[in-house]
This record gives sequence, C-alpha cells and structure tokens, in this order.
Amino acid sequence: MHFGRGIALAGTINLRKITMKRICIILLINSVFTLSAWAEQPQDFLATFAAQAKIDNATFSGFDASRGEQFFKSSHGGDWSCSTCHTENPTAMGKHTVTKKAIKPMAPSANPERFTNTAKVEKWFKRNCKDVVKRECTAQEKGDVLTYLLSLSR
Amino acid sequence: MTQRILVWDLPTRIFHWALALSFAGAFLTCESERWCDFHVLLGYTVLGLIVFRLVWGFVGTRYSRFAEFLRSPAYVIRYIAQLLRGHAEHSVGHNPAGAVAILLLLLLGIASGVSGCAVYEEVGGDWLEELHEFTSNAMLAVVFVHIAGVLVTSYLHDENLIVAMISGRKRGPVNQAISNNYRLIAMLLLTALIGFWIWAWPDSRDMKWLCEIGQRLNGVSALIIAPTRE
Repeated sequence: MHFGRGIALAGTINLRKITMKRICIILLINSVFTLSAWAEQPQDFLATFAAQAKIDNATFSGFDASRGEQFFKSSHGGDWSCSTCHTENPTAMGKHTVTKKAIKPMAPSANPERFTNTAKVEKWFKRNCKDVVKRECTAQEKGDVLTYLLSLSR
Repeated sequence: MTQRILVWDLPTRIFHWALALSFAGAFLTCESERWCDFHVLLGYTVLGLIVFRLVWGFVGTRYSRFAEFLRSPAYVIRYIAQLLRGHAEHSVGHNPAGAVAILLLLLLGIASGVSGCAVYEEVGGDWLEELHEFTSNAMLAVVFVHIAGVLVTSYLHDENLIVAMISGRKRGPVNQAISNNYRLIAMLLLTALIGFWIWAWPDSRDMKWLCEIGQRLNGVSALIIAPTRE
C-alpha cells in the first residue's frame, strides 16, 4: 500500500516535470513566432523600398500613388492585373479568380494586418508579380503600389 | 534457383507512379496562383494515395507490407555502412535504407497534404503555411535521396530498379515470389483515381484534357498488365 503510494507520488512529480518542460518549450516556440512575426508598419516597407529604389536608380524621385494605381489596375501585357483578384477597389474584399476564394482587402485602412510582416510581404509580392508581370517587381513598383494602397481610406 | 520473380504487385506499382506524378505535379503547380486549383487537386490525390498505401502496407502482398520492410535502426545503419563500402547485400524487396526513405515519404506526404488542406481551408494561422512549405520541401529532398539510392543500388547490383518498379520483377529465389498481382485491386485503385479526378475536376477548366490523360493511363495500364499475364 505504502509502496504503491510512493510510486504514485513519483509519478506525479515526474508528470509535473514533463508538464513544466512542455510549458517551457511552448513558451519558447511562442516567443520565436512572435519575434519572427514582429509587427512592422506599412511605412517601414516604404522606407525599405525607397532605399532599394535609390540603389537601383540614381534619379529615384519618390513614390507616386497614381502611378501605383495604374500599375495595380493594368495587365502588363498578360491576362491578369493585381485587380483581377484584389478588384479595382482594394478597400473591398477580393476574390481569387481561379479558386473563387475570398481575399481580405489590401488597403491597410480596411485591413490593418496588411504590410505588417516582412516575410509575408516579400513572399506575396514575389509570387503575385510573377503571375501578373512575369518577373519580380522593382522596388519602385512596390513602393508606388504601397503608396497607392495607403492613400485609400474606407 | 534465382531468376526474375514478381516482387511488386500491380497496386503497389500504380500507387508508386501515381504518387510520383501527383507529387511532381503539385510541386510544378505551387508557384503560380494560376494553377492553384490543380495544386489542391494533386495534393488531395497524394493524400488519397498514401491512405491506400497505409492500408496496403498491412493487407498487401509480402514485400509491400511494413512488417516485411521496416527494420531496426541498427540494421539500417549497418546496411548504409555496407553501401558506403560498395558491397551491400542484395534485397529481394526494399533494401533497409530504401525502406526508411519510403516511411519518410509516406509520413511527410501526410504532413504536407494535411497542412496543405488546412492552409487552403484557412483553419489555422501562418505557421501552417510554414509547416506546409517545410514538409513539402523535406519530402522533395527525400525524393532526391530516394532516386539517388535507386541509381546507386541499381549500379551496385547490376539490376535496373526503375524497370523493376514498372514490370514488378526483381532478381530473387523462385520460391520467394509473390503469387498474386491483385489486378482487381489495381483496377479499383485506378478507377478510384480517375473517378476522383473527373468528380473533382474544376468547373472552370476544359475537360477534354482530362479525357486524354484518362485514355493514355488506360493505355499504360494495359501495357503493364499484358506482360504479367501468365
């Protein structure tokens, strides 16, 4: 009887140790995710794109919302434009033209989560630019589009 | 007496090549949103095929069973050491290292497929996207190791293992052959595959394309079945 209790007790302590260990691991993973998803602001991306645009082109003279709008809405010789899926109104919900799935608004005023995560911004510009303009976008183009999206209010 | 005996039954071979095609297809369609619908369809195909293989790993023929080809880690390490010295033992079925690759491919295929579904259905956070990319890339890496292993072993044992996965025949003692090709199960598997593709074919896509593939697949399966008819 006594012996049995001893084992049970040891079991609990062991279980506690395991639980503590698990909590630590979960906390660690959580903090890694938080750090990697460290919230940038859309303006941070404007600064990054501007720095790159200056390197690409010595005569770089800033970003322009109307140029960004034109880029967003034209099809660049292919059959898709950004607005094919994101619609002509980036403050509204978009719709994937192949899967018909809903896409959240692109304009930060309508969807504050947009342009707050470097990895996502890089990944989606890269993927979608290849679909629309058949190459990666330049920093000038990305900056113009972001300036356009930031100029929109709900 | 050693000669070319039947080792891989027809369902196992169809599974193998269908999985190879769907996985390759899924990788080719992942970069563009244009092919997103097919990417999803191919991913479901990978999952369905693996579910079949898991069942077949318990009820299938001898060399397709997990109990036959999964060995202890020590055994696998010893085999790889032999392989590196250039004189590994010939296995009738999977060799011990190949078996590890197969297990990894099945597990990573499930992880990649399930996480892909979750991403598509938007049930979780960004980490699912990361997991999907990681498991798919890991699976691609194992595919390359698997192909390298097949080439090295084919060379070492002077036995074309790619042809073996088409004909089902490998070198081995006559009394170690599997006795049944399970053609009916193979036909059911192929019918289920083609049926699923017809049923799940995206509305916005031309169907003629699929019909052509179907006809060709039927041609190919006829080629596989004909020579193995006793």
